Amino acid sequence: MNPDHLKVSRRRFLKLSALTGAVVGIEQVIGPLPSVSASPVRAPQKALRSKWIATSCLNCQGRCAIRVKVADDRVVRITGNPLSPASEGKVCPKAHIGLQVLYDPDRIHTPLKRTAKEKGKEIDPRWVPISWDEALRQVTGRLNEIRDRLQPHRVLIFSGLHSVSAQDMISRFAEALGTPNLISGEGLDLEAEKSGNWMADGHYGLTSYDLDRTSYILSFGADLLSSGVPLSRFLRKWGRMRRERPGRTKVVVIDPRYSVTASKSDEWIPAHPGTEGALAMAIAHVIIAEDLYDHAFIGRWSNGFDGYRKLALEQYSPDLISKITGIPPETIRRVAREFAKTGPGLAIRGKEALSRPDGSYISYAIFCLNALVGSIDIPGGIIYQEAPSYRDMGPVIEDKATQRGRSQPGIDLGGTERFLGTRAVTNRVPDSLIEGKPYSIEMAIGFNSNFNMTAPSCHRWDQALKKLPYYVHISPFISEMALYADLVLPSTTYLEEWGYDHPSAGGGLAEMRIKQPAIPPRGDARPVIDMIFEMSRRMKGGVAGSFAALGGNSEGFVKFRTGPLIPWEELLKKGVWVGREYRYRKYDRLFRTPSKKFEFESGNLRSFLSKTGNIKKGETDFLPRSGEMRFLGESEKYPLILLPYQPLLMMGNGSQNYPWAQEIYLPMQGMGWDIVMEINSRTAETFHLRNGQRVWAESPFGRIRGRLKLSEGIHPEVLAIPSGQGHYAYGKWQKGIGANPNEIIGVDDDRVSGQPSSLNTRVKVYPV
Amino acid sequence: MVIDLDKCTGCQACTIACKVENNVPHGSPEEQRGRREIYWNKVIAVTNGKYPHVQTMLIPMPCMHCEQAPCVTVCPAKATYRREDGIVMQDFRKCIGCKYCMVACPYGARSFNNKEQDEKEYHRQDLPPDRKSWGQWPFPTRTHGVVEKCTFCFHRIDRGIKEGKKIGKEVVPACVEECPSNARTFGDLDDPQGEVSRLLSSRGWTRLREELDTKCKVYYLFK
Repeated sequence: MNPDHLKVSRRRFLKLSALTGAVVGIEQVIGPLPSVSASPVRAPQKALRSKWIATSCLNCQGRCAIRVKVADDRVVRITGNPLSPASEGKVCPKAHIGLQVLYDPDRIHTPLKRTAKEKGKEIDPRWVPISWDEALRQVTGRLNEIRDRLQPHRVLIFSGLHSVSAQDMISRFAEALGTPNLISGEGLDLEAEKSGNWMADGHYGLTSYDLDRTSYILSFGADLLSSGVPLSRFLRKWGRMRRERPGRTKVVVIDPRYSVTASKSDEWIPAHPGTEGALAMAIAHVIIAEDLYDHAFIGRWSNGFDGYRKLALEQYSPDLISKITGIPPETIRRVAREFAKTGPGLAIRGKEALSRPDGSYISYAIFCLNALVGSIDIPGGIIYQEAPSYRDMGPVIEDKATQRGRSQPGIDLGGTERFLGTRAVTNRVPDSLIEGKPYSIEMAIGFNSNFNMTAPSCHRWDQALKKLPYYVHISPFISEMALYADLVLPSTTYLEEWGYDHPSAGGGLAEMRIKQPAIPPRGDARPVIDMIFEMSRRMKGGVAGSFAALGGNSEGFVKFRTGPLIPWEELLKKGVWVGREYRYRKYDRLFRTPSKKFEFESGNLRSFLSKTGNIKKGETDFLPRSGEMRFLGESEKYPLILLPYQPLLMMGNGSQNYPWAQEIYLPMQGMGWDIVMEINSRTAETFHLRNGQRVWAESPFGRIRGRLKLSEGIHPEVLAIPSGQGHYAYGKWQKGIGANPNEIIGVDDDRVSGQPSSLNTRVKVYPV
Repeated sequence: MVIDLDKCTGCQACTIACKVENNVPHGSPEEQRGRREIYWNKVIAVTNGKYPHVQTMLIPMPCMHCEQAPCVTVCPAKATYRREDGIVMQDFRKCIGCKYCMVACPYGARSFNNKEQDEKEYHRQDLPPDRKSWGQWPFPTRTHGVVEKCTFCFHRIDRGIKEGKKIGKEVVPACVEECPSNARTFGDLDDPQGEVSRLLSSRGWTRLREELDTKCKVYYLFK
């Protein structure tokens, strides 16, 4: 290399750049050298009409504030909004993939009507495009007719991932129609965590953590850096916890799988699958026995401690629990001491601990550790997310049909004998549909839901959807559920619509984010909110009236709801409204429990059960506990326990047709475009299985195929399979890629929350 | 560039941000099987140990921009060279696609572009229709049959210098800007007051394959 040559060209390049005033610095490196005469024509700034638009993401429940760069009517870049405190303006990798969500080449752009009579997985629906007017006429005609017969409960509404604004509209739509049957996707994997909180402190919602100030994190099956909610907050705060504050936060991960979080933690403890609850109780035992608990908090602000103390001391000694969990008693003692002494500490639980038959109790047991060390509403402890107060929508207008419909029981059997204290038993809906109990459903509307992919034992959903007399699916693409639709309405993606959002968990202080269209809707897609407004206008009775004064369209609706918070122009510009500073230790008004204190013996559960008449003497326990070790399938025949997990790049919108996510789907395996079945190398040896072999994973409920990966980072009794792949309905970049573990998971539930249990199915593995 | 592996979360935002910024084409299942994918930045996993004492390190790998760059030495066409500021560049016009540099690079930081020109949009429908209006960077048009690699987003740096901005503070490469945990720090290694120098003096660091004496410019900090 001749340095003189370099010097010259660099100088020359600077000169050229100065001459042209354009960003063409690379010209001499690649592409033709610009001649001086040509440069004015190329001046990019002149032609470039670019602007930044503040809006919010929707690739998971985090719904982070983002800024979108639009150039020449194309969205070219997505980044975080620095005004959002929950993640300090940072976003996770999924946010960038919004470009491919928006410009997904396989999106649908017009309403489609089914012409094939039969419905099924393999059957081509033979779509025919129809006009919006015709499509909405069909939908509202049916809805009107059903309501005229005073049968609105026979309308079923599914809801997938939406902005908070669209969720509010969908709930109101269901309420105004008069159906108790609004089934949400959140019921599939987050209910146990919420209900554990509700048992302890009365807040039925996701947990927020003061990550800035915590000194110790004890994670039970929580892959915080892949599936924490909101993910961007965990990613950002990880940097802060490790190296941006005096004293480095220690992280200990308890998980049968060596997750990304485990690899980044200080200690990985693989407990036997399903024993996280027992371990939490054993840790409580040590903290109580060694008198390390927070006497001040427990004495003044807790209730039921004596029963809990007795239970932990008598039944959960580390020596006993060591046999159940496979963790040496001295490790349990050491971790318990560290957790109690390195305050403020946090015990965090994740999906890989809670998706079990007694998930709510496990959630409750782990959550109680925070109270034990006083980490409730203190800096560095559990915090309570505040919500923005939007302008009230007022009650819906009731007519005869509404009243009649709402007096009916829900088809998900929530709050009945079978499910004690539940709100949404999403995964029981297919059984009710197949059996036609407690009544048959005449029509269903699915708002961007995809339950026959995302719910355990998804083939039941296929059967149930096949049975639906009339199904309308609303989403930007033909998802798996859309295959069963009689009518598909194309909705916009989140980059083309108005809305408002707030985090369900985050940094404590209230935060509201606007969603504004970066570009006009592609094709003939319409926003969900506008669809509901339009449908309501075409409907009779109370439905039309219930939506009459809410702004008329999606933009008007957002203006109406956010009006009291912030001036409109300011909101459009900033994109984020933030509430007042968070206040800690609000103990006198924090707890929504019968005792108005933190409860180690759940009064909420007791009163709920006595209201529904579900208390039977000796049957229910109101204390936290380790959870029943119940598995589907005999251990002789099916020696392994299936562990489905959510990789970071699994999108939350029901599609995976995004190459940027697909090609780096599994970072720990250094691969993408597929799934791998991970098995402990010594276990594989005993079954005579080789690395990279194509194998079947078979449970009593079915089998799926995949490549085997021998691993040192997995418990010997576990087979781990990533979720999110195995799509078959549409999309060049997802169809036929990998397999879906939900196909082989059996049906079992947490009886308190109704969340399906996806971690207690047994499997065997054998070569193809 | 300094990458703090204690802060890094292995999320791969850097990989995707790089693809967005530099129009690095995405691959396909076939290309991954044939190891023909193009990455200017990739997070690799290195695993050691036996259950349960396993240790996996997720290491983000941009080009190391070596001072003694083997790729520069071997290139017969002088297509790859070191700029005055230390950035190792690739001239697509001079590159003859012989791949010597790919063999020579100890870090696997280089990729060969197999994509035909007629795939030039690479399904990037988000790019503006009139490419001329953009100039060539960011979102460069691409050249078939040449080797490409990370440029430390030199187009950002050059523009930033011209606009009088502080490099490393106001202007950083896309992977640094989009790292959610702020694990990456970019700046002038020769500036003793800079953040990069401060980090390197505060903790133990390492460079990958130090034994090869490539004197690379990407430093890693460990736990």
